[in-house]
Amino acid sequence: MNTQITSSLYDQCIATYNTEQKEGTLAAIRKQAFTSFQKNGFPSTKVEDWKYTNLKPFIQDNLQLVYGETSTALTKEIIESALIPGLDAYIVVLVNGQLQKTLSHQINEKGFTLLPILEATELPAFQQHFGKYTDVTKHHLTAVNTALFKDGLFVHLTKSQVVEKPIHIIHVSTAKTDFFTQPRYLYVVEENARLKVVETYITTTQVKAVVNQLTEVFVGKSANFQQYNIQTGDANAHFIQHTEVFQETTSVYNNYKFSMPGISFLRNNLHIALDGEHIESHMYGLYLSGGAQLVDNHTIVDHRKPNCQSNEHYKGVMQDASTGVFNGKIFVQEDAQKTNAFQQNNNLILGDKASVNSKPQLEIFADDVKCSHGSTIGQFNNEALFYLKTRGIGDEKAKTLLVQAFAFDVTDKIPDESIQDFVNGLIEEGLK
Amino acid sequence: MSTDLEILNQVEAEEYKYGFTTDIDMEILPKGLSEDTIRFISSKKNEPEWLLEWRLKAFRQFEKMELPSWQNFEMPEFDFQDISYYAAPKKKTQYKSLDEVDPELLATFEKLGIPLTEQKMLAGVAVDAVFDSVSVATTFKENLKELGIIFCSFGEAVQEHPELVKQYLGTVVPSTDNIFAALNAAVFSDGSFVYIPKGVRCPMELSTYFRINAQNTGQFERTLIIADESSYVSYLEGCTAPMRDENQMHAAVVELIAMQDAEIKYSTVQNWYPGDKDGKGGIYNFVTKRGICKGDRSKISWTQVETGSSITWKYPSVILKGDRSEGEFYSVAVTKNKQIADTGTKIYHIGKDTRSRIISKGISAGNGQNSYRGLVQVGPNAAHARNFTQCDSLLIGDRCGAHTFPYIESKNNTAMVEHEATTSKIGEDQIFYLNQRGIDTEKAVALIVNGYCKEVLNQLPMEFAVEAQKLLAISLEGSVG
Amino acid sequence: MLSIKNLKASVEGKEILKGLNLEVKAGEIHAIMGPNGSGKSTLASVLAGREDYEITEGEVSFDGKDLLDLSPEDRAREGLFLAFQYPVEIPGVSNINFLKTAVNEVRAYRNLAPLEGKEFLSTLKDRQKLLEFDASLANRSLNEGFSGGEKKRNEILQLAMLEPKLAILDETDSGLDIDALRIVSQGVNKLRSENNAFIVITHYQRLLEHIVPDYVHVLYKGKIVKSGTKELALELEEKGYDWLKESQAELA
Repeated sequence: MNTQITSSLYDQCIATYNTEQKEGTLAAIRKQAFTSFQKNGFPSTKVEDWKYTNLKPFIQDNLQLVYGETSTALTKEIIESALIPGLDAYIVVLVNGQLQKTLSHQINEKGFTLLPILEATELPAFQQHFGKYTDVTKHHLTAVNTALFKDGLFVHLTKSQVVEKPIHIIHVSTAKTDFFTQPRYLYVVEENARLKVVETYITTTQVKAVVNQLTEVFVGKSANFQQYNIQTGDANAHFIQHTEVFQETTSVYNNYKFSMPGISFLRNNLHIALDGEHIESHMYGLYLSGGAQLVDNHTIVDHRKPNCQSNEHYKGVMQDASTGVFNGKIFVQEDAQKTNAFQQNNNLILGDKASVNSKPQLEIFADDVKCSHGSTIGQFNNEALFYLKTRGIGDEKAKTLLVQAFAFDVTDKIPDESIQDFVNGLIEEGLK
Repeated sequence: MSTDLEILNQVEAEEYKYGFTTDIDMEILPKGLSEDTIRFISSKKNEPEWLLEWRLKAFRQFEKMELPSWQNFEMPEFDFQDISYYAAPKKKTQYKSLDEVDPELLATFEKLGIPLTEQKMLAGVAVDAVFDSVSVATTFKENLKELGIIFCSFGEAVQEHPELVKQYLGTVVPSTDNIFAALNAAVFSDGSFVYIPKGVRCPMELSTYFRINAQNTGQFERTLIIADESSYVSYLEGCTAPMRDENQMHAAVVELIAMQDAEIKYSTVQNWYPGDKDGKGGIYNFVTKRGICKGDRSKISWTQVETGSSITWKYPSVILKGDRSEGEFYSVAVTKNKQIADTGTKIYHIGKDTRSRIISKGISAGNGQNSYRGLVQVGPNAAHARNFTQCDSLLIGDRCGAHTFPYIESKNNTAMVEHEATTSKIGEDQIFYLNQRGIDTEKAVALIVNGYCKEVLNQLPMEFAVEAQKLLAISLEGSVG
Repeated sequence: MLSIKNLKASVEGKEILKGLNLEVKAGEIHAIMGPNGSGKSTLASVLAGREDYEITEGEVSFDGKDLLDLSPEDRAREGLFLAFQYPVEIPGVSNINFLKTAVNEVRAYRNLAPLEGKEFLSTLKDRQKLLEFDASLANRSLNEGFSGGEKKRNEILQLAMLEPKLAILDETDSGLDIDALRIVSQGVNKLRSENNAFIVITHYQRLLEHIVPDYVHVLYKGKIVKSGTKELALELEEKGYDWLKESQAELA
């Protein structure tokens, strides 16, 4: 069975690694990852986890492995247009993966560190956690990221520290040539610490972009980490985002993921390991797709210890000829008695040529558990649509209201009102 | 409730009670698989040339195919050369009447609770009994013939109705479908054939009883059921095997074809030998079952109670081609000790206004692993298709596993698909309540499990439902400490 | 205001309305009564523009416009309001947001400036007070978790907010206890004026004790078979519908 795609990008990656210097803290980790990538390459649709999601069409072309010349100088206006109205946040701007100090806020919070990732490699917290939660032998794209990443951030919050204001990371792409980039992030939120991070994306150019992002997250004992991801972009963008989360006892981790029309190819992997007792994990996702877009969300929740609960709710709205993919796996390991795991995936197909593939999975090895999953595919409730119309509400508005209502189970869970309004605005825009 | 208890009272601490062997003079082909094996089987059955060719073609495909790797267990190593592909009671292969059947054989079926002698027959059930590789008796044949219904062994159908066999064989499960289907197409020895003519409602349940007896043999039977326009048939299938230390292979193929306005109801109570408590022995049950609702408003309903086999690998499926056609799948699968079940269904919505319903109840005890694997696919032309799936798992004991792998794919913006699944442990409060009313834990579990499976058991014809309830009770004995 | 001429409508090929005529003028209240299945709710649905019904013949003009030519939302914007027999629950759509959207869509159609937050809320508060509907609407989804009585009162509140010319109350009394019935009726009475009109569809006379109609019509087998004043309602209450059915049978 051929589980690999041969592509020029593969050859380029191999060649790049071979020409690079192989010394320093990361050398061993990179080597292992490279060996794995060299063997496994990019996954074909024969690989079960890539069954509905074909990388082939866009990794054939010639892509730059490093950013070439950047186009415009970034103005304040561009950054301002990327802000979330009403959100009081620390702004961090990354241009083509590089931290821009002049455009970012200075964050003077106790115990807080934010550095370009390659500047953090000698820090104890980096060395303790980097690469520990990602199995490069199992996931093709984490391997190539680990072998070759150059950009990204290391974010660290020490024990019992709290950063009240969210950190808003704005990713800006200004590249002038088609490129393949692999940013890498490591978040370490230590015992009892609390942190919120919001990530958004803008682009100022029209070049083809393939982004293979890998994020590792460590949430220490009793810590609380909230991560928001608002994915917007244009049809030139192809985005693979892999997030590995490791949680310790009594910690709380929330992930909010919003994927909007635009980015033509979007694949999110969100893996959470619940490695202690009394952990809570919440995953809320909304994907609203349009055009010929493909939005694919793969999640894994791994209950390893007793008395934890996980809650996952992903909702999808497919317009035009777009495709939605959802695959949610819940594992409850032998030790994980008294687990409560809940997973729900609801889809609306609105487009004539749209389609959905939903694959909710439970794998349960303990008996004293309460686990359930549900998946639905349907359309608007015509009765509701008629009711709204008899109140004078026009077709477009009525549909927006109903989609916002459909998304409500997810958007309502956003504790921050300005982010909630921002997302509702994106929904309205995304339906036009 | 009282009938449940009566049943339970009959169920003494018995292990696999069908595990006896029958001492009968058998003709057994030496182990091994080659074109010669196939030629031997074909000539033994006096088959026409086209069928031999069809078998050989399947065999050549089989040789090129690989074992599947997607299932949720480690595929055992199969040595296809270490199996005998033909075993038959020696006396005669064609029985003119029951009087000619070896009394030992009749006694076997009596023991299994499948009396073949007409006077003892269960009211309203016509039986085709398949012993190892061949059909030994088909009852009520004459009565059915009057209505134009054909119910006979596959071998007989090849002789008597070659045009029907040729027209439909392999049209629902092509021999290229999977390696086990290919193997079956190459070496199938017998099975049942049913044809219900236009407008006829089959007045009785049709039933096949499969029995593996000989050692080191595999059983590869093939069933083909054709329900012509506006006809109806309910078909039952049961199976047992002796207790043996080595694993035996069962790779059957079932094809169902429902024409316009026709309905086929297919029920299985599968109780092949599951192996002992350490997982030694037992049947490898790799079965391909598929039906097609060819005509408008046709309906196919699968009901299965799977308690036996060391490994069960089967996904009875329905292709909903006709507009307004309907497919159903009701399943209970029990695994205990080291048993593995990877089972479910595939429903393909192709026609407009097609409907399907899936109810699956998995019960895992001991070290048993139970997986539901299902596909609901809605094609672009299946306007207003509807599916509802409910998929529940019950866990008894802390060393077993329950897994759910549904695939839901829709390409139509008027279709509605709903899937729900739950996993929970057996209710301690329920057991306690029953204990408090004087019912011991083992019986309490059986009662609760029977209640849990009611929706599926209700789909079975009466006689089978009773048998299935008994089986569930026996299967779960000793699973609570 | 509303003129229905020889209206015929069918659903799934079955004819429900079989040539219905009705004239409603501003300031009037018309009651439509009739046994189950006579076509009362169909009439309400057809006027509001439900798609399931096929109009096979006849015409309906509303303030000089061809009503049947308009989309459901434009009918509403023109000033036609249907209080549903079974108001639909829409989880996730907040009452307030829904009402504000509806009010402003209707206002925009009439070339009025939108009501902004404060103004809107104070109007809402006034109307709630007028209708003695004190349920908190904030943080609740549209009709979700409302009792039967609350749903009906919410319909009347929407009526008060949207200020239609013609309101059709489809069995608004069903499922209401006597107190709720009184409150709903009082609300309607407070909202009636020289310039608007009501069509009250009901099974029972008791609602008409509270909302006194100018005319009462009996709908039977898709046609209005008898019209009269409020006394007709009393007569129906006393004698039931059978005498009408008989007289119809004689006619046929």
